[in-house]
Amino acid sequence: MKWDIPSLEELEDAVWKCTACGNCKTAYDFGPPPTYGEICPAGVEFGFDGNMASKGKIAFARGILDGQLTWTQDFVDAIYKCTICGGCQNQCELDHKPVIPEIIESMRRKAVKDGVGPMPTQKVIAQSMRSYNNPYQGPRRVRTDWTRPFKKAKNPIKNIMKKNAPILFYVGCTGAFNLPVRNFPVATASIFQKLGLDFGILGENEICCGSTAMRLGDVDEFKRVAETNMKTFKDLKDNHGVETIVTSCAGCYRAMKKDYSLAAEYEDCMDGLKIIHTTDFLFNYFKEGKIKFTKEVPWKVTYHDPCHTGRHLIDFDIDEDGSRQWKGSYLGKSEDNCLYDIPREMLKAIPGIDFREMGRIRSNSYCCGGGGGVMTGYGDWAAKNAGLRIQEGLDTGAEQMVSICPFCHYNLNEGSKRIKSDMKVYDLVELIDMAL
Amino acid sequence: MTEMSTESKIDSLITKKLCKIVGEKNATDMKHIRYAYSYDLSFVKPKLPDYVVMPTSVEQVQKIMEFANQEKISVTPFTAGTNIGGLCIPENGGILLDMKRMNNIIRIDEESHYTIIEPGVSHAKLASALAKYNLRWSWPVGPPSASVSSNAICHGIGGLSARYGLNSEEITSMEVVLPTGELVRVGSCAIQEDAWHSCLPLPRMDGLFTGWLGTTGIITKIGLRVHPVPPILKVFTASTQTLGHMASYLRTLGNYEICDDLTGVSWWLSQVPIPYPYKPKPDDAPEWISFATTFSWTEKEKQAREEIWRMVVDEETKNGSSLKETVYPEEALKARTQLPSQIVGSTKNYTKQAGAGISWPGTFTPLNKWEPVYDEWKKILTARNLSPSVRVTNYRGVHYGMLRAMIPFPKKDPASIENARQAIVECLKVDLDNGGIPYKPPVDFGVEINKRAHPGYVELLKRTKNMLDPNNIMNTGKLAL
Repeated sequence: MKWDIPSLEELEDAVWKCTACGNCKTAYDFGPPPTYGEICPAGVEFGFDGNMASKGKIAFARGILDGQLTWTQDFVDAIYKCTICGGCQNQCELDHKPVIPEIIESMRRKAVKDGVGPMPTQKVIAQSMRSYNNPYQGPRRVRTDWTRPFKKAKNPIKNIMKKNAPILFYVGCTGAFNLPVRNFPVATASIFQKLGLDFGILGENEICCGSTAMRLGDVDEFKRVAETNMKTFKDLKDNHGVETIVTSCAGCYRAMKKDYSLAAEYEDCMDGLKIIHTTDFLFNYFKEGKIKFTKEVPWKVTYHDPCHTGRHLIDFDIDEDGSRQWKGSYLGKSEDNCLYDIPREMLKAIPGIDFREMGRIRSNSYCCGGGGGVMTGYGDWAAKNAGLRIQEGLDTGAEQMVSICPFCHYNLNEGSKRIKSDMKVYDLVELIDMAL
Repeated sequence: MTEMSTESKIDSLITKKLCKIVGEKNATDMKHIRYAYSYDLSFVKPKLPDYVVMPTSVEQVQKIMEFANQEKISVTPFTAGTNIGGLCIPENGGILLDMKRMNNIIRIDEESHYTIIEPGVSHAKLASALAKYNLRWSWPVGPPSASVSSNAICHGIGGLSARYGLNSEEITSMEVVLPTGELVRVGSCAIQEDAWHSCLPLPRMDGLFTGWLGTTGIITKIGLRVHPVPPILKVFTASTQTLGHMASYLRTLGNYEICDDLTGVSWWLSQVPIPYPYKPKPDDAPEWISFATTFSWTEKEKQAREEIWRMVVDEETKNGSSLKETVYPEEALKARTQLPSQIVGSTKNYTKQAGAGISWPGTFTPLNKWEPVYDEWKKILTARNLSPSVRVTNYRGVHYGMLRAMIPFPKKDPASIENARQAIVECLKVDLDNGGIPYKPPVDFGVEINKRAHPGYVELLKRTKNMLDPNNIMNTGKLAL
């Protein structure tokens, strides 16, 4: 397949649009009343301007492009010390805003291409992807371990390659292999069964979406799995009656919606297929009155907006041909695709829920610290940062934190343990399943 | 595979010493970290610091300065680096002292109306904190991430400058580490440790540290007046065809002292963004547009203020002014009255079209010289294909004020940067010759100022600097002495 994944050199004009004004360093809103919060996990942890927000990362890019900076171990390390959460991007008002994460990832792609990236611990992921088709070094057969309770209860989950169904539940590697978050697919499938939906899974044939590889700059590995997946999806569409792909994983969702669209054959493979996050998918049933909560969940909860279902889905209005302002000018943004209101609305509808909102939410949500390969490359920092987010949740009086991303879920749990808090982390599907 | 490069010019013993003072995580000589501090928005040529250090306590700042003074290493203080005069670019390398980790709001005294903050406190952070007490500061049109204390000690202005003057006039006390590492205090906190309410009636020794571009000491705590926010805002907007008419309007309205911010901007500056390269304004558009903010506690008070404004408009019109009540462009008005603002933060409205670069001739100039200076600036700037995007603002009801041009340019192109630099320096010379004085000046400006200065002034400057900084280590080169 042909891909349009830009190199750092191709993004040079955008790099030179950054003023270094530092707007990106903090989340601020005039209000009134005005609100302020730290927004960059790397900035909070490491502090130097180079480490902080897009101002710092673009300084790195500029240094590479103008020949001032060459690879050193520490420099490569600094490029990977970023969760690529997009918090900085949300503050920027300049023309490079829409491609800030791409600039950061293009540096990583260059590092990989030059043989110096990713970081040693992250290379394990790359190796695992090549050997196991997932980043967790999980054997294929383990992928379906989570389905055992259904089999035992004589409600087995359909293998979509063997039995056709209109809905593919794309589980994702984290839900399948990462034990602390296995409740995700279980709760999702349980809800689907309670709703009487005709759905199936790829089972042992499911492979990684490629999100982690893409975030780490391993573009060849990303392309390999993305191309395989797109061909599989096309086959499912053409030969197995699949119309909708549902995923509970924010990373998978983002990859399929945005990263895959960089392939020239994207339309050909994916046209006619609806890709939807579980939360959004269930909300449609909720709106139609088909989801009726019958049980109470008497919890004090707060909600954490994952980056990948939030600001990573912002659509940017760019003057592509120069007819409205000038060519390449950033004109505005739309948050219509961001999953901000839907999870909150469903959460609040569950009987007994006492909902508490944190200060940094929606597009200014504070990243859990696990994205961009940080959880693998810098686990201690990732958990430390998650502890900050957990504390923010605790400060609201909440006792449970709910989210819709298995990565956030895992990392926030680590953060909660690290600060020795009683805060428990749940996915929204778990609460929905409990209330049904 | 790209070969891994190694650094060889850095003295690792100095790095070790700095790490010992502030901890391994807060000091570095790594080039990629230093590189991020080597440039800013301005035309000033990038220069690398040799070391970057982030202290977290006053004691650490003292130890760093003692060490730097002993070793005669240049020290450039840095808070956010958002100025547009290259003030934090280390002219001679040395230590870049990044103060962002000292960012506590130590006190907000809601009864006495002052706050005590550390240098790393940003406008965004203070705005959020003060709002809880319905208090405000004179927010400048800078990025929300900019440092409050740096703006104050560099004579920044803000949205209350027509009422309270420069932000440096709002300083109530300071704690300062001298270049030699000694800790001093000025203002009431010097006499009673916990009293931060006023610099007066003591000698104004705060002047030793304000307007010196970070060359005389490191402010570690600063007391600043803060003010209540009346609930009703009214913005008067008017236009004129000439700066002469605009200046007359601002002078007359200024006489009544009813406005918090009293500003006129040329058509080019009222655009978001400033046009780059220069484009002529539409024939039917006025050349000058003004916004004047006034806050009231009651509707009646607001009506009285409106009555005064109407009277001023009538008076100006009667005297033949082209003054008209007008609509200020919506986004530009929002950017200038909803402060701190991400729109105006030296970014979207200033540099967006040109691409990353912005500098200025920023001056304090008598009001009666605004028009002749502007006429010359317009010729200089348009000849270089740059927009005459000029702002004038009255200070504290008097008839001098800020006259400045925001000049965007593309940072990618060295020839365009030089074109802007030359234009700005030419503009500055015109202003100096008309009695204006530049503020937050880059070194190029310092040279022009000192050329014209009374010999006694330069000598006093040198002696004072020498008294405070005997080894000349602080932000070296910035005073162009």
